[in-house]
Amino acid sequence: MYNFLVRFQNLDRRWIFVGMALSILIPMLFPVSFPFRVDQRVQDLYDTVDELPDGSKVFLSADFDPASRPELEPFFRANLHHLFRKDIQIVSATLWPSAPPLVLPIMKEIAEKHGKVYGEDWVFLGFKDGKELAIKSIGENIPKAFPKDFEGTDITTLPIMSGVRQAKDFPLIVSVSAGFPGTQEYVLQIQGQYSLDIVSSCTAVSGPDYIPFFKAGQLRGLSAGIPGSAHYEQLVFPDGPPEGTRLLGIAGYNVLSLGHLFIVLLIIAGNIAYFLTTPREEA
Amino acid sequence: MMLALICLLQILLPSAHAAAGDFTVTAPKYGGGLALDLAWSAQPNASGYLVLRSSAEGAWEIVVETPLPAEATEYTDQVTPDPEVNPPLDAYTYRVASLTSASPTFPKRAPAAENATDEEMAAREADFQRSLEAYTQSILTGGDLTAPVIGAPKGAWLNLTPGYILLFVMIISVGVMMNVFAARARRGEEIFIRRISGIDAIEEGIGRATEMGRPILYVPGIDELQDIQTIASMLILGQVAEKVAEYQSDIVVSCCIPIVREVADEVVKAGYYQAGFPDAYNPANTRFISSEQFAFCAGTNGIILREKPATNIYFGRFFAESLILAETGFVNKSIQIAGTAEATQLPFFIAACDYTLIGEELFAVSAYLSRDPRLISSLKASDWVKVFVVVSLLVGSLLATLGSDLVVQLYTIGH
Amino acid sequence: MRSTIPLIISLVVGLLMVGEFFIPHWRYHLLTENLLEWGVIVSAGAFFLGLINLIQVNLPKILERQEDWQYKVVMMVGLVATLIAGFSGGDQRISDGYAYRWIYDFILVPLNATMFALLAFYIASAAFRAFRARNLDATILLTAAIIVMVARVPAGEMLGQAISGFFSSILGDWTLIFLPENFLSQFMNWLMDVPNTAARRAIFVGAALGAVATGLRIILGIERSHLGAD
Repeated sequence: MYNFLVRFQNLDRRWIFVGMALSILIPMLFPVSFPFRVDQRVQDLYDTVDELPDGSKVFLSADFDPASRPELEPFFRANLHHLFRKDIQIVSATLWPSAPPLVLPIMKEIAEKHGKVYGEDWVFLGFKDGKELAIKSIGENIPKAFPKDFEGTDITTLPIMSGVRQAKDFPLIVSVSAGFPGTQEYVLQIQGQYSLDIVSSCTAVSGPDYIPFFKAGQLRGLSAGIPGSAHYEQLVFPDGPPEGTRLLGIAGYNVLSLGHLFIVLLIIAGNIAYFLTTPREEA
Repeated sequence: MMLALICLLQILLPSAHAAAGDFTVTAPKYGGGLALDLAWSAQPNASGYLVLRSSAEGAWEIVVETPLPAEATEYTDQVTPDPEVNPPLDAYTYRVASLTSASPTFPKRAPAAENATDEEMAAREADFQRSLEAYTQSILTGGDLTAPVIGAPKGAWLNLTPGYILLFVMIISVGVMMNVFAARARRGEEIFIRRISGIDAIEEGIGRATEMGRPILYVPGIDELQDIQTIASMLILGQVAEKVAEYQSDIVVSCCIPIVREVADEVVKAGYYQAGFPDAYNPANTRFISSEQFAFCAGTNGIILREKPATNIYFGRFFAESLILAETGFVNKSIQIAGTAEATQLPFFIAACDYTLIGEELFAVSAYLSRDPRLISSLKASDWVKVFVVVSLLVGSLLATLGSDLVVQLYTIGH
Repeated sequence: MRSTIPLIISLVVGLLMVGEFFIPHWRYHLLTENLLEWGVIVSAGAFFLGLINLIQVNLPKILERQEDWQYKVVMMVGLVATLIAGFSGGDQRISDGYAYRWIYDFILVPLNATMFALLAFYIASAAFRAFRARNLDATILLTAAIIVMVARVPAGEMLGQAISGFFSSILGDWTLIFLPENFLSQFMNWLMDVPNTAARRAIFVGAALGAVATGLRIILGIERSHLGAD
C-alpha cells in the first residue's frame, strides 16, 4: 500500500491527461445540465447595457482570437443580440490581428438576423496595430486611428460615425478581451482620463485581475470566462435561445463542472497519499 | 513671488464666460481646449433640445446628431473633429432650442439601398445635408431659442487637479530620493537589500548549465518593447549574458516580437563584449520565433525539447503560454526561474517553476545583480514612496470610515 | 557619441511622453500623437526585420541539412504561402473564398485552439504536482484553490447545497445561519473580493512603483545596458 501511495504521488502525467480528457469528453457526449445562479458582476454588466437608451451608440472592442473563442464568443454573440435588440448602434474594432476573420462573420450573421444595415446600424473598423498606443488614439481621435473601415470605406462618410469622434462620445464601451491589449489597457489608458463607462468580458484567468477595477467603479460590469458568458446568456435569453442559436456558454459551463471536480479530486487524492506516506518518510 | 505665481496660474488656467440667463457655456477647467461644456435649465413642456453653434463668420449649424432628450440639461461640444486640419477658433456662439410636439420633425437619412454605389451614398448624404440646412433655418426663424452665448475653448497647459499634483510629486520624489541614496552610497554607506533567492539562483543556474554543457534559455516575455516588463527584461538580459560569457556557456534568447529580438541581440552582444569574449557571441542564438502567441510558444517548446537547456529564465510579460512553457521545461528537467508583474500568470509560474519573482522583484533584478549604487538607490527610493502610499492608504481608510473623502479626492485622477 | 545621442533622445522623448499625462492642451497632444504614430510605424516596420531573421536563421539549417531541417521546410513553406495569400487578397482577404481566409479557418484556428487546450491538461498535472500541504502557506493555497474551483461551477454549487442540506437535516435549521445553501459561492466571492483584490492591488502598486523607478532610470540615463555594446 505504501509503495502504491508513493507511486501515486509520482503518477505519470499521461494518466492525468487521460483522466482530464475523459472528464471533458463524457459530459460533451452525454450532456448534463446543472441549474446556476447569476453572478452579481454579470448582472451589473447586463443592467448597464440594458439601461442604455434605445438607439444610442456603443463602442465594442472585440479583442479575442481562436484560442479564447470558447470563453468569449458566447458572450460576444449574446451581447450583439442584446445590443441589436435595443436598436443600439455598434461601432466595433479590434486590437488583435487575428480577430477580424473571427469577429466579422459573427457580426454579419447576427446583424442580418436583426435586420441591421452596415454603415448605419453597425460598422467594423478593422484591426489597428499599436496596442496601448492604439487605445490612446481611440481615446483621442477615432477617425484618425481608423480613417477607413475594414472594407476601405472612408468612415466619415458612414452615417453611424457622424457625431462620434472619440471614446467619450459613446455612453458605453464594451471590451471583449482575451488578454493584452484589452480591458486593462482601456482602463489604465483612457477610462480615468475621459471618465468612460466600460464593461468587460474577459477570460477566466484575467477575471481576478479585473475585480479590483470593478470594485473601484472603473468597470461597470464584468463577465469572466465561460461561467460569465453562461450567466450573461441566461440573462439575455431567459426564455431560451432564438431559433438557430445555440447557447455555447451554458453548454460549456456544464462541461466545465466535471473538469473542475476531476482536478479537485486529484488534488485531494494526492494530499491524502502525501500525508499517509510522510510520517514513514520522516521516521 | 506669490504674486508672480498667482499671475502665472491665471494665465495657465482657462476662464469661463458669463452666462446668459440659465444658459451657460464654459471651457472645462483642465480641458485640452477642444471642448466646451453647455448647461441649461430644463424647460417645461420641452420634448427635446437642439444645440446650435456658429463661428465668427459662419452660419448656424446644429451640432447634435439627434435631438437631446427632454431631461437633458447639459452637453459637451467637440468644437473640431481634427485640430490638426481645423484648429479650434478663438470663440464660438451657441444657442439651445427647446423642441415641443409642434416643432418640425428632425430630418433623418433615407435608408440606404442594398449594394448602393459610392455615388448613390454621396447623393443620399447630400440630400440629408440639404434637409438639415432647411430644418436649421426653420428652427432659427420660428423656434424657442435661448439668447446667444459666446464660449472660448481655452486649453490648460497644466492639470492642477490634486490627483495629478500628487502623482507628479511622487514621480519627482522617486527621482530626488534616487540621487540622495546614490550620494550616500558613493560616500560608502551600505544600502541593504533583502536576499531574493530567485535572483541568487540565476548564477547557480548558469553554473549548472556550464557543468552540463547545455545552454541557458532566456525568454523575455511576449510583449512589445515599450512595455516596462520587457524593458526590465532587456536590462536583466545584459547582465545575464555577461555572466554566461564569463562562464563560457551559451545563451539562447527566444523572442516573440521582432524589434525585441533586435534589442536583445545588441544587449547579448554587449554582454559578451563586457565579459571580454566578443568572439564567443553567436547571433544565431537570439531568435525571432513568431509574433503569434501560440506559434511562439510551440517554437520555444521545440527549442526546449531539442536543445535541452539546463536553465530556463522567463523574465517579462507572459500570458496563456506561461504554463505551457514552464511545464515543458519541467519535463526537460531544467531549473526554471520566472519573474513577471503579470498577476494572472504568477500562479502558473509558482506551480511549475523552481523560483518565481513576483511583481516589483522583477524590476529589482538588474539592480540586485549589478550592485551598482545608482541602481540600488532607485530601489530604496521606490520603497520609501511605497511607505508613503501605504501610510496614506491607512490614513485615507480611517478618514473615509469617519466620513471624509479627503484622501480619496487626493488620489482621484480624471473627474 | 554612440551612446550619448540615444541617451539624449531617451531623455527628451521620455519627458515629452510623461508630460502628456499632465499637460491637457491640444497643441501638446498633437505633438505626442505624432510621436505615438512614429512608435506604431517603427513597430510595424520591425516586422520586416523579423521576417529577415526567420529566413537568416532557418534557411542555412535547411541548406546544411542540420537536425530537424524538415520542420524548417514546413515553417518556410507556411511563411511563404501565408505571405502570398495575404498580399494577393487585398482588403477582401478575410472574406470567404480567399486563400488567406482558408489558412485562417483551417490551419490557424485549429492550431491555436489545440495549443490553448493543452492548458487544461497542464493545469491538472501542475496542480497535482504542486498543490501539496507541505507547510501552512501551501495549505492555504490549496484550500483556496479547491474552494474556488468547486464553487465556480454549477455542480459545485449543488454540492454546497447538498452539504448545507445535510447539516441542517441532522442538526436543525440554525445551521443555515452559518452554512446557507450558497455558502460555497459566498465564500468564493469573499475570497475573490477581499484577499484576492487586496493582493492584486498590492502587486499593482508595487509593480507600478517599480516601473516608475525603472522608467526614470532609463529616461535619466542611469541604466544603459539596453543601448548595446559601445
